[in-house]
Amino acid sequence: MSTREQYVAVDLLPGTLDLLILQTLLLGPCHGHAIACSIELRSEEVLRVGHGSLYPALQRLLKLKLIAAEDGISENNRKARFYRLTDKGRKTLHVETSKWHLFSKAIARILSPASPETR
Amino acid sequence: MQFWDRRRIRLEEEIQDHIERETEDNIRSGMSLVEAREAAQKKFGNTLLAVERSREIWGGLRVEYFLKDLRYALRSLRRAPGYATAVVLTLALGLGSVATILAIADSVLLRPVPLPHPRQLVMIYGKTDQAGTWEDLSYRQIETLRRDSHSFSGIAAYLTMVKAVGTPDGARVALYAAITPNFFRMLGVPAKMGRLLTSADANRPVVLVSDEFWQERLHGDPHVLGSSVQISGTPRTIVGVLPANLDLPFVRGGPFVYAPISLEAKHKDLLFSSSALALARLKPGVSPSQALAEARSLLVHDQDRNGADGQRLTIEPLTHFISGSLERPLLALLGGVGILLLIACANAANLQIARATERLAEMEVRSALGASFPRLLQQLLVESLVISMAGASVGGGVAVAATAAIRGAYAERFARFDEIGVHPAVLAALALLAVMAGLLGSLAPALRIRRTTAVVRTQRSITTRNRASGALVIFQVALTCILLVTCGLFVRTMHALEQVPVGFDPHHVTTLVLMPLDSNQPPATLRQTDTLLLARFQTLPGVEAATMQTRIPFSDYGFSLSGTTDVSGRAFEKNDVASYTVVSSSFLQASGIQLLRGRGFEAQDDGDGAIVVLVNQAFVRRFLPGRNPLGVTLRMHRDPGDKDSDLPVRGNMTVIGVVQNEIQGPLGSAFDPMVYLDDLQLPRDSSFLGLYGIASQFAIRSRLPEGVLDKEIRATLKQIAPDMAEMQLQPMEKGIAASLEERRLALRLVSGFGAMALLLAAIGIYGLLAYTVTLRRKEIGIRMALGSSRTGVARLVLKQAGRTVLWGVIPGIAGAWAAEHTVRSFLFGVQALDPLAVGSAAIMLALTAGMAAAIPAWNAARVDPMEVLRIE
Repeated sequence: MSTREQYVAVDLLPGTLDLLILQTLLLGPCHGHAIACSIELRSEEVLRVGHGSLYPALQRLLKLKLIAAEDGISENNRKARFYRLTDKGRKTLHVETSKWHLFSKAIARILSPASPETR
Repeated sequence: MQFWDRRRIRLEEEIQDHIERETEDNIRSGMSLVEAREAAQKKFGNTLLAVERSREIWGGLRVEYFLKDLRYALRSLRRAPGYATAVVLTLALGLGSVATILAIADSVLLRPVPLPHPRQLVMIYGKTDQAGTWEDLSYRQIETLRRDSHSFSGIAAYLTMVKAVGTPDGARVALYAAITPNFFRMLGVPAKMGRLLTSADANRPVVLVSDEFWQERLHGDPHVLGSSVQISGTPRTIVGVLPANLDLPFVRGGPFVYAPISLEAKHKDLLFSSSALALARLKPGVSPSQALAEARSLLVHDQDRNGADGQRLTIEPLTHFISGSLERPLLALLGGVGILLLIACANAANLQIARATERLAEMEVRSALGASFPRLLQQLLVESLVISMAGASVGGGVAVAATAAIRGAYAERFARFDEIGVHPAVLAALALLAVMAGLLGSLAPALRIRRTTAVVRTQRSITTRNRASGALVIFQVALTCILLVTCGLFVRTMHALEQVPVGFDPHHVTTLVLMPLDSNQPPATLRQTDTLLLARFQTLPGVEAATMQTRIPFSDYGFSLSGTTDVSGRAFEKNDVASYTVVSSSFLQASGIQLLRGRGFEAQDDGDGAIVVLVNQAFVRRFLPGRNPLGVTLRMHRDPGDKDSDLPVRGNMTVIGVVQNEIQGPLGSAFDPMVYLDDLQLPRDSSFLGLYGIASQFAIRSRLPEGVLDKEIRATLKQIAPDMAEMQLQPMEKGIAASLEERRLALRLVSGFGAMALLLAAIGIYGLLAYTVTLRRKEIGIRMALGSSRTGVARLVLKQAGRTVLWGVIPGIAGAWAAEHTVRSFLFGVQALDPLAVGSAAIMLALTAGMAAAIPAWNAARVDPMEVLRIE
């Protein structure tokens, strides 16, 4: 039964995780590890269950065509898979961010000290 | 598979890369290699889960799972070949028989006849009663419709008969149709060779021949156009050959010749009375009912005694007219195979329940490992669908083979059976049924698994039962009971028909039908030949008696005249119609028909005195109830305006004797009031004599073996009547058997269904009991340990079998009672709940259940209590 519970937990996250991924990519194309680190810097909570949950989220965003992926060479000359924001992703980010601001304010009123840092 | 694998591998590599990067970071921050790797892995979490979730998002997973399930299903079925074969064959049987009947119904009833715009084609006729006999339209009526009606784009008329047709090979009997010249043009049938008829051909000696005639009689000669054939002695020129496989009412494949009739022609001949079948094409947009209303209004004032009553005029689509009589039997058959399919499905479901129970442990393990219920359900469903699709494929093969066999065997006998084939629509229906069977089959085991996997099995039950399988088997028994009772009713019908008193002695009677090759000979000459032949037949060694009759029972060529009759001492009513048959003086001795009152024909009767006649019981009951029939005089009724020549017999006819009712048509039909006229007394100018130009029929009573007698008869024919074609020479009992053939076919089909159902039910009962004994092994062991005897245990199993039969038979009988209503028209002389049919069905089911229960009961009795308790 344990897997089923996890699945539910992951299910609750996407709104936030997806949004954070998109925000990270706003700065430029990134590979998976770099995205994870960047998100971790801003919110440890989101990736609490592990960096692993990043990958299903990336697949979801790929499927929605909000991001695109291509193979490239990373800083230390290693092959890596880079993700970048698409135009559709950029637009969605705008809409989602404003929604998120409303939502996070509501959350902040209930939970202290919750301070999801957003731009 | 390839694509999914590649994508998965790439993701796994990416994740691996992620963890390596994390490890490097950790090393940089001062961890040892092992620590760093552990920390990275920990931070990442469950790698496998990440991959699985990603794949779920890719979505192709469903298809992938499906393919996996498919492979798994095939593998697990290979591991259980006995089970797989049993279910596939069970379903193939059910689906195959449904597909066969569906294919026939589709080809014969639903498909339009293969003519241009077939829905516009209609038959026009007068419907006389419920039994479906019809009146032709008179030429005048057809002409009226053709001239004044606005509903039809064309009206054609035709009539069919049998005539001797001479070709260079010699004269043989062929089918003959007289058609209006526009006939084929209106239908939209082109000539295969030469041309069709035109209106200019109306009075020309020209003829069209069917493809079969051209192939069989003219050897497919390509230069046949312009040559001539002799039709009943008259030469006619062939102007065209028609395409093969024409299928019209009364015009079905065979050696046919088509000659023009003209609606204005006046036929004096009684039998070619001026009426014909009318076939018409509706104008586009005109419905049959509109056309009917118009035609009725046009004909309502036309009281043509040769034609149909305007009030009873009917217009029926051609397709329906051709194969409408097959609709009820085919629907009844469809019901039968439907029941068979349900039984097969119940069996398949039961087998699947049993198998699911065996696999409960597997399912529990899978569930514990995280497989969700929908996932397990999908697996079951895929397995079930694989099985039912396999069943459908085999069933489809069965249907294709069966339809081919039926087409081969019955193409000649039933309308449109030559067109039978398995069309895509039938295959689609088959696939749909298979999917439904698959869904139904997986439903019960799925529910069972849901129940057992949803609750933790903390307690171990000793007694396990399965209500679903029990109910399914009861359902099977009920359905089987319906088929068996129906089958019993058919058997009883057959018996009842064979017991019907035919009114004469058909044993050792041979019937002979002859046709003059040249019907233009004067009737007197033909009559003379017949008389001579009869005299010779009577003196043949071994022949007890011989008679000439215009209508011989169970002959396809019989003629009798339906005449309105005045009976002395009785006021004439409009429907006072009797059938007149001409017989020879030796009629009573030869037919073995019983004389009830008065006397038979005697030598002194011939001459110019008053005509004496015999009548049958039905005549007395109808026209002379409570009166002494002897001495009563009859007269053919004279309608105002009738001329002397319109009456076949003008004088008085005196009744001298009453004979037993003699059956004429199919067994079980009603008796017509009959008047028998002595051939020798017929006036020389009677239009009855026209009969001799058509056919002569003899009944010869002899105890000689068939072959010997046939030889003698043929030798006599060669000697005395070389210009007569032999159309039929067969023992009368053969004719009677042939008249029952359709019913026999129905009986064979129904008993086939019954036997199959019984077999399936036996398998079902056996499966249920065997499975129950397995489930109740522990219980049985404990019972035995507590002192139950082996017979007691066996009785336990037999009791369950008995209960199953009892609970199945009661609704089964109710179902059979309902089913009887749908097949009532095929039955004769039995009641819906015939005790013999119901009783034998119940006994048969009980015996079958007993046999099916024997092995499980034996197995139960052999349970070793010590072994069972040791396992506990």
